[in-house]
Amino acid sequence: MVAPANNSANVVADALTLYDFGPKRAADDDEMEEEEEAPTHINTKRSLQFLVVSVDKLSAKYTGDGKHANDVGAIQGNRPAPVRRLLYYFEIYIKDRGNRGTISIGFTDEHFKTTRQPGWDPNTYGYHGDDGYLYYRGNGHGEPFGSTFQTGDTVGAGINYSSQEIFFTLNGKLVGSRHKDVKCPLYPSVGMHSPNERVDINFGQNPFVFNIEALVHEEREKLRMEIEALHLPLSISHSVVRSYLLHYAYQETLHAFDATSGSMVPAVLLNNQVNGDKMIEEESYAFEHRKKLRQLIRNGDINGAIAQLEIWYPQLLQDETLRIKFLLDCQQFIELIKVGSLEAAVKHAQEKLANLMGVGLYQTLLQDCIALLAYEHPKESPVGHLLMLGQREAVADAINSAILITDPSLPSSRSSPQSTLEKLLRQLTACHTEKWKLNGGQGEMFRLHRVLRGKEGPW
Amino acid sequence: MSSSKKVYTKDEWQRKLNEVKIRKSDMNRLVMNYFVTEGYVEAAEKFYKETGTEPDMDLGTITDRMEVRKAIQCGNVQDAIEKVNDLNPEILDTNPQLFFHLQQQRLIELIRSGKVEEALEFAQEELAPRGEENHEFLQELERTVALLAFEDTSSCPVGDLLDVSQRQKTASELNAAILTSQSHEKDPKLPGLLKMLIWVQKQLDEKVSYPRINDFATAALEDPAT
Repeated sequence: MVAPANNSANVVADALTLYDFGPKRAADDDEMEEEEEAPTHINTKRSLQFLVVSVDKLSAKYTGDGKHANDVGAIQGNRPAPVRRLLYYFEIYIKDRGNRGTISIGFTDEHFKTTRQPGWDPNTYGYHGDDGYLYYRGNGHGEPFGSTFQTGDTVGAGINYSSQEIFFTLNGKLVGSRHKDVKCPLYPSVGMHSPNERVDINFGQNPFVFNIEALVHEEREKLRMEIEALHLPLSISHSVVRSYLLHYAYQETLHAFDATSGSMVPAVLLNNQVNGDKMIEEESYAFEHRKKLRQLIRNGDINGAIAQLEIWYPQLLQDETLRIKFLLDCQQFIELIKVGSLEAAVKHAQEKLANLMGVGLYQTLLQDCIALLAYEHPKESPVGHLLMLGQREAVADAINSAILITDPSLPSSRSSPQSTLEKLLRQLTACHTEKWKLNGGQGEMFRLHRVLRGKEGPW
Repeated sequence: MSSSKKVYTKDEWQRKLNEVKIRKSDMNRLVMNYFVTEGYVEAAEKFYKETGTEPDMDLGTITDRMEVRKAIQCGNVQDAIEKVNDLNPEILDTNPQLFFHLQQQRLIELIRSGKVEEALEFAQEELAPRGEENHEFLQELERTVALLAFEDTSSCPVGDLLDVSQRQKTASELNAAILTSQSHEKDPKLPGLLKMLIWVQKQLDEKVSYPRINDFATAALEDPAT
């Protein structure tokens, strides 16, 4: 099989990957990302002593004597708290504080013994209702934290993954928080230790007493303000956009942008692009050629584009892998389908495409193209996206890249050229991903396309 | 001092960068959002034609917004105020601070054109009553009136008020208020993302050493600090 022999091979390989993530499939990305399951009820698969659990697994009652350190009746949620989010939170309602009010709420790890109070052992945290103390780090010593629990109280426990803190609430008010010094999965947990104690647990099946949305909003606002307060020179966005237009040779837009820029932003603000000039030079390489080819492809004139390429960059059409040629031949086929010239399309496929059947890299695009023939209304078919403007743009982009790479002033090792904007967005995503990984995969993941659609705050 | 921070070489980091998937349509959307929010109507129209990217607001409303902006940038504050009120009178009614800044800008323009008497009258009748309600306004008013005390404003301590950037500031504030009234975000997304990049790079600095991008105009990767 043909091996990628030079840079233009990478470029088209990129274009084909791009195709895999093209408009049709991209829309499903959000859904494909599996949703983490949250706890929904008490885990009754663990051996539970000294308490009884209701049929719906959302209430528990203490049944022991409450006389020893090891006859606590504790329960855990059926799943650990989900971590790929900003916050996790749950609440208990104290139906009866019992004889001594020794009810606790908090988080425990998977090794937690259900005959112990949350907070007593390592990797557990518990806010205790009899003394209002917070117990954690497993050293047996609590510290004064909040009020004691009374019958009729609602107590909540949560994890803030962004600040890495465990926090507690009482009757809808924040009591306090502590640094979460463990990264292991944590289960929402409740402990009881004196006769007649009864609790209901709300894993979110009912509205919370504490306004958790307000806290989420507050956290996002805090971050947004912190980021907004950073200083960014006014000229940077302008120069990034301009260089994008140059990179892709969007000539008409560039022209309009430059024509209005003068009256929009005072020139003094734009003239301090110290290092920008070299970049502009690089992005301007072969601008006229790239512009013309883009226009031809955008108008569906594939033969015209091939003719110009033969004059300007014959090497791109003759390279041993024939990838540019392949993309253009496919597009020509698509254009014939688009105008309804089925016979011409079939003839074109037999002449130009048939011999590429079975070549690995080309398969997906090729098969999808040929599949267009099978539908009476190809536009509404599963491969209908091929007929959209976006496909022409993808082909134009591949050729644009292949030409940019012929720039002799570039280091030869360079793979597919990227616009400044793309490099910055890659860095932005890579840094976020790295930060998230260093945080043990906890907290919200940064997803650029969600930020762009305004579905989330700063992330 | 030796640090135990993990170091990513340029090659290692480049591999991570290569794994990132950036969609062309997302970049196009960002650029379109910049045009629309910053008011580049013609660029937005051409960009739609060249890429098929839909603008995220009615292009017609941009033209009105830009005329208001232009009026401020040319020093025609009264004209701008009338235009905004034509667009939506609630914008100024509900933003006393913005309205004060516009009046302040009007005062600056009067002083700039040497209309001393008119400026004083305007300051006393229109601005002073507002200053009584709000201490911050009063200070601004005093700062502005101080312009009259200097014959050579180029070297006076409040000379910055006469700078183009002051018009720019007022124009931006008004522009943002109009956008908000049209339930559109007041700032383009691109500078927000770039600030986010400054922020996240700083955050990551605390934990690992990696190739940063310091110059956003070239997006060149620096060598990681060791």
